[in-house]
Amino acid sequence: MDELSLYVLDITMNSVRAGAAEISVTLREEGEWLDFTVTDNGCGMTEEQVQKLTDPFFTTRKTRKVGLGIPFLTMLAEMTGGYVRITSTHESVSDDHGTTTHARFGRNHIDFIPLGDMIGTVVTLIQGSPDINFVYTHTTERGTVSLSCEELRAVLEDVPLNEPEVLAWIADNLNEQYQALASD
Amino acid sequence: MTVRQTAEALGLTLLCGDGDREISGVYVGDLLSRCMSRVTEGCLWITIMSNINAVAVAALTDPACIVFCEDVEIDDVVLDRARENDIAIAKSTLDAYALCVAYHNACGENQ
Repeated sequence: MDELSLYVLDITMNSVRAGAAEISVTLREEGEWLDFTVTDNGCGMTEEQVQKLTDPFFTTRKTRKVGLGIPFLTMLAEMTGGYVRITSTHESVSDDHGTTTHARFGRNHIDFIPLGDMIGTVVTLIQGSPDINFVYTHTTERGTVSLSCEELRAVLEDVPLNEPEVLAWIADNLNEQYQALASD
Repeated sequence: MTVRQTAEALGLTLLCGDGDREISGVYVGDLLSRCMSRVTEGCLWITIMSNINAVAVAALTDPACIVFCEDVEIDDVVLDRARENDIAIAKSTLDAYALCVAYHNACGENQ
């Protein structure tokens, strides 16, 4: 995985598998740091599960015995002088359950990798899970790009978000927002 | 050649694992997410990435042996996990290029 967007996709898919109805994906570029945060209201994890997250031989998968999503993310973040912090509340503990994964990267560090295709990542997520309320926010020094599935759904009413025309519109819209940032 | 024969020919120190496995090829790489799709079953995987994640990649890809090159430090937890998962690990002071050349030459002598 040589683009950061692939890590964002990987971490967000954990939220999808956790049965979340709301997932926010936030990128913030400020000074020497790039932070990304994925917050969901999925089933959450127990304290024991959270503690084992950086151990690749711990995984919730049943199909194989190794899970490298969080270990790879942590390795990349730490290589660039950053870190990964995960807080989670399991559904057995509180009705207000879910997980927040925050990863910080040194964006000027020599081992940092390109951000990659965030528009494609957002479209892929919505395509795969059209009923989830994704909120995407990317803030840079030049301004903010954002998209809310809930707002889209309010306008589109019964049209599923993974209709090809809707996905194409989402991609165009994000593209226009990014271009507006770049030209400011 | 087996892992043990290769270790002798290349001056590797075999730290754990099965020395009798036959080696089917060589892969060199440090970016573990890429290694996940490139390390092949039975190969000699040469890398400097001597952490527990490399052992996990080996658990998925089943190389004959991981060779940690350039005399990188190896934590005990790495060797413990490798033993638990029957993964062979060797180390060398040479760099990846020198190891590849030495392996190539050793293969020629053993034919």
